[in-house]
Amino acid sequence: MFIQRMLNQTGAPALERLLSFTEARQGLIADDIANVDSQNYRQKDLSVERFQQMLRQRVDAAHNPAHNPSTGSSPAGADDFSDIDAELEYPTRGILFHDGNNRSMEQLMSDQAKNALMHQVAVELLRKQYQSMQAALQDKVG
Amino acid sequence: MFDSLDISASALQAQRTRLDTIATNIANMNTTQGLDGNPYRRRYAVFAQGQEGDSSRPGVHVSKIEKDQGAFRVVDRDGKKVLYPNIDLSQEFVDALECSRAYEANVTTMEVTKAMINASLRLVA
Repeated sequence: MFIQRMLNQTGAPALERLLSFTEARQGLIADDIANVDSQNYRQKDLSVERFQQMLRQRVDAAHNPAHNPSTGSSPAGADDFSDIDAELEYPTRGILFHDGNNRSMEQLMSDQAKNALMHQVAVELLRKQYQSMQAALQDKVG
Repeated sequence: MFDSLDISASALQAQRTRLDTIATNIANMNTTQGLDGNPYRRRYAVFAQGQEGDSSRPGVHVSKIEKDQGAFRVVDRDGKKVLYPNIDLSQEFVDALECSRAYEANVTTMEVTKAMINASLRLVA
C-alpha cells in the first residue's frame, strides 16, 4: 500500500501509460510499413494528440484538488491511468495511389523515429524515478 | 511488442518472395518455349494483409503469384517473327529496387522494435 502510494505520487503511472501507448503504436507502424505494397490497405495510427490531451487532463486532475470542489481532494481514480486508452485513427494524409493504398514511407519512418524517441524518454524518466526510490529505500534501511 | 517483430518478419518473407519472382522473370526473359509450349509469361506477386494462414493477425503475405496477361514481344529473326516473353527489363529492375528498399525499411523497423524492447527490459535490470 505504501509502495503503491509512493509510486502514484510520482509520474510513474503516466509514464507507464506512455510506454504502453508507444509500444502499441510501434505495432501499428510496423503493420503500415509491412503493408506498403498491399492493395487497398489503409494506413492506421494512434492519435498522439488525443492521447496526450487525455493524459494532460488526468495529470492536472491528480495534481489539482480544486478540480473537485465538493470534496476538495483529487477526483476518484485520478491516480489511476489504466483507463486512458489510445484512439485508432485512419490518417487521410498522403496520396491515394492507384492500388488503393495511401502509403507515405517518409511519414511512416518519421513517425517511427519520433515514437521510438518518445519511448526512450519514458523509459529513461521511469528508470530515474525507480533509481531515486531505490536510493531512498536503501538510505532508510542503512 | 513481440507482435511487431512478427509483422516485420512477415513483410521480409513477402518481399523476398517478390524478389524471387522478379529474379525468375529476368532469368526467363529469353525463354521462348515454356512448359506449355508458349513463351514464358511474366509473373508478379500480389500482397494481401494479414499473416499467412491467419489473415486476422496483423502482417502481410503473398496471396498469389499472378501471370501478366500482356502481349508477348515480337522479334524479327531472319525474316521470321518470333514471340518472346512479355518482360521489360527496366520494369523488373525498378521493381527489384523498390522491393529492396521495402525490405530495408522493414529491417529498420525490426531494429527499432528491438531497441524499444531492450530499453523496456533495462527497467527491470
